[in-house]
Amino acid sequence: MSARYGMVIDLDRCTGCGSCMVACAAENNVPALPQATARTGITPMLVRKASNGKEGNLRREAFIPILCMHCEHETPCVHVCPQQAVELDAATGIVMQMPQRCLGCRYCMTACPYHARYFNWWDPAWSAGMEKSLNPGVATRMRGVVEKCNFCHVRFHAAKEKAAAAGRREIDPADYIPACVEACPTGAIRFGNLSDPNDPVTQDARSANAFRLLARIGTEPKVYYKSNEEWVRRLAESGGQSDSPTHTTRIPAQQAEELHV
Amino acid sequence: MKVSRRDLLAWSAGAAAALVATPVPWKLLDDTSIWSQNWKWIPQPSRGPMEVKHSACTLCPSGCGLRVRTAGGYLVGVAGLASHPVTGGALCPLAFAAHQLNWHPERLRTVRHRGVESSWDDARAAFVKACGEGPVIVIDGYPGRAASVVMEAFGNKRGEYRAFQGTEWKVLAPYTRWSGVPASDLGYDLENARTIVSFGAPLLDGWGIPGRFTRLWAKRSAGQNEPELRLIQIEDSLSRTATRAWRWIAVRPGTESALASGIARVLLEEKLVSTQAPLPDATVSEVALRTGLDISTIRELARMIVAQQPAMAISNNNAPSIAALNVVLGAVGERGGIVRRSRAAKSYQDAEAPISSARAVVLDASVPWSFIPKTDAEVFRFAAWNGGPTKADWLLPAPGFLEELSDVPTAPTASVETYAVAPAITQAPHTTRSCAAFLASADPSLTSAEKVIHKRCADLYRARVGALHSHQQVPVARLETDSQLEEQLWNGSVWVGEPASGESILCALKKWPADDADSPVDSHQSWSVPVMPALATKLYQESGLRESQGRIA
Repeated sequence: MSARYGMVIDLDRCTGCGSCMVACAAENNVPALPQATARTGITPMLVRKASNGKEGNLRREAFIPILCMHCEHETPCVHVCPQQAVELDAATGIVMQMPQRCLGCRYCMTACPYHARYFNWWDPAWSAGMEKSLNPGVATRMRGVVEKCNFCHVRFHAAKEKAAAAGRREIDPADYIPACVEACPTGAIRFGNLSDPNDPVTQDARSANAFRLLARIGTEPKVYYKSNEEWVRRLAESGGQSDSPTHTTRIPAQQAEELHV
Repeated sequence: MKVSRRDLLAWSAGAAAALVATPVPWKLLDDTSIWSQNWKWIPQPSRGPMEVKHSACTLCPSGCGLRVRTAGGYLVGVAGLASHPVTGGALCPLAFAAHQLNWHPERLRTVRHRGVESSWDDARAAFVKACGEGPVIVIDGYPGRAASVVMEAFGNKRGEYRAFQGTEWKVLAPYTRWSGVPASDLGYDLENARTIVSFGAPLLDGWGIPGRFTRLWAKRSAGQNEPELRLIQIEDSLSRTATRAWRWIAVRPGTESALASGIARVLLEEKLVSTQAPLPDATVSEVALRTGLDISTIRELARMIVAQQPAMAISNNNAPSIAALNVVLGAVGERGGIVRRSRAAKSYQDAEAPISSARAVVLDASVPWSFIPKTDAEVFRFAAWNGGPTKADWLLPAPGFLEELSDVPTAPTASVETYAVAPAITQAPHTTRSCAAFLASADPSLTSAEKVIHKRCADLYRARVGALHSHQQVPVARLETDSQLEEQLWNGSVWVGEPASGESILCALKKWPADDADSPVDSHQSWSVPVMPALATKLYQESGLRESQGRIA
């Protein structure tokens, strides 16, 4: 039976420490150079800050980790790619990006409702010698291609190999944990197989306070969020965009207004 | 058939137009792109046998458990060690890219004398000469390590040994003043507290041992309306901790300690606590005026604090009134409060005390870069990374992240004693020397840090107290030899002592203290390395999530 990997991110547990961002970038060999901006950088996992728009002691804030949502239905990036460089893996439900096929048109970046795709504007570079600290499991990407979260697919391969070596067809769920999930100190990010009704993550995704970003557009994201706070749940309609000034350039004006719920 | 010039031109134009309809130009474009994107100098990951090793982080005194991946001897990945008894797999965000630190552009690669490249031989000659001419002061940033024993021995013999007092120790200074118990013997029993009132302390943002409180909060408090652990944050702004606290009480900047006095006054006046303590001078209405809170809010806050006991106050500075509030709450020397975790710790001369006479001052790599000794003596500063302008005469390249054998004694703020060993997992790309090794080379009668670690392991074995924690817990009493204990510590196990016995700490508070606190410390106090991993700097800059500290290049 094919799996449908997904996540549930408990926003009430997220302290905005950024461990997931750093662990993700280190695992996936995101280049340390050149220093870029919010528009040109590569942050496959990006923690954004949102507020309830009030001031003084009525102000409340939440941190929202944004990554590829691995949309299940009419995946926008898959639909628009002229090179078939993006594919929804039938066996795992992971939306895969193949840099070898990507010609860098960035149509997928435009199509992605979550701004979860990033473009390699430059050749990847590290300070002298720092390339020795790269993760050997992940190839460095070339200039001119789009990239995004792939649920640490290299870890999935490693889990499959381990299972095959042990004569098993199915992987042990404990062997496949993406870097961000592993790094989260509060256990806010949980990862599991959403097609397995007994998986605790599936049950969490079905809880009353779980929601998905921009659910109304019908792309069926496999990344769920949950919060007990009503104003946080209402952020779902604005795509969880941040009110941080550094990101205003990426946010359509209408959505930016919706932030102040 | 005669081909005219016009025919040739027409044919050429037609061919050119038709070519666009064929895959040829697109293929050429694609191939050119691929060729130009795959230069041979584009960095590729290192190759070599992969290994996973368990160790402890030595970048700050917290000593979080690490699971380190290496390829061909190089560090290629860092993750938390889930079996660690204190951190349980949690790390600070910077640690996840710490394996890049050794290649940071600001890494000190050569000996420098007043900005000019020099050599280890020259540095050693200058140091030996200084030793012969007058007293030498050795300053240590993380006292209690095996390397500290070597430095202390040298300092006691040739001059003086001093310890840099970290923020955590400074915060505990009022208890030391009142009870005589050294700050390095005290810790916070967070695990047994049920209400924690934080006066601006960044409890969820790197305070103490990163991961210890965040994991506790995630388990007992996060997202709950009536949590098992109530976190009340008193702070002037909506910090990360305030955002996630059970209650956030916004006060005027700098009035946290005044509020502590106000809370104590309500507790004593309304007899909400059984403790006898002097009444604070300020009335509740005066405190309300200063803090900007209503009198009713302060009274309600005081009742809220004692509603779920044990309750403890945690301060971000050394404000004595916040420490006195803990005395009023009965949280000093009690379960769920400030506890005495050991009796072994020593008191050292403060590094910041005035230097009367010294020929040379030696700063270990663990001393924060921002610390500049006020002296005219020759300063020898060990550091793995260059933190910018310095007044040190000599800059001496020290081993970087996991490049030297070190041990990790009990972290500040911990409520039980722990001990771990962090072996050298990788090699420095250039010649480095630790402060302890340098001092030992100048005085051959000194022992080495490795021998001290060996002796400590033997002592732990002989004491037969506590247990070794890895994927399972093994009491030391069940181990057969001391080498077994040492081997397990080298492989990432952590020794954990017996829990604090709840020994009472007598704080003689004759008069309510006046507020004379230092300014609040910043939230990154535990990161003592002068640079941040390049990836973290970049991500902080690009995401806008945090202020980006340090430089990439």
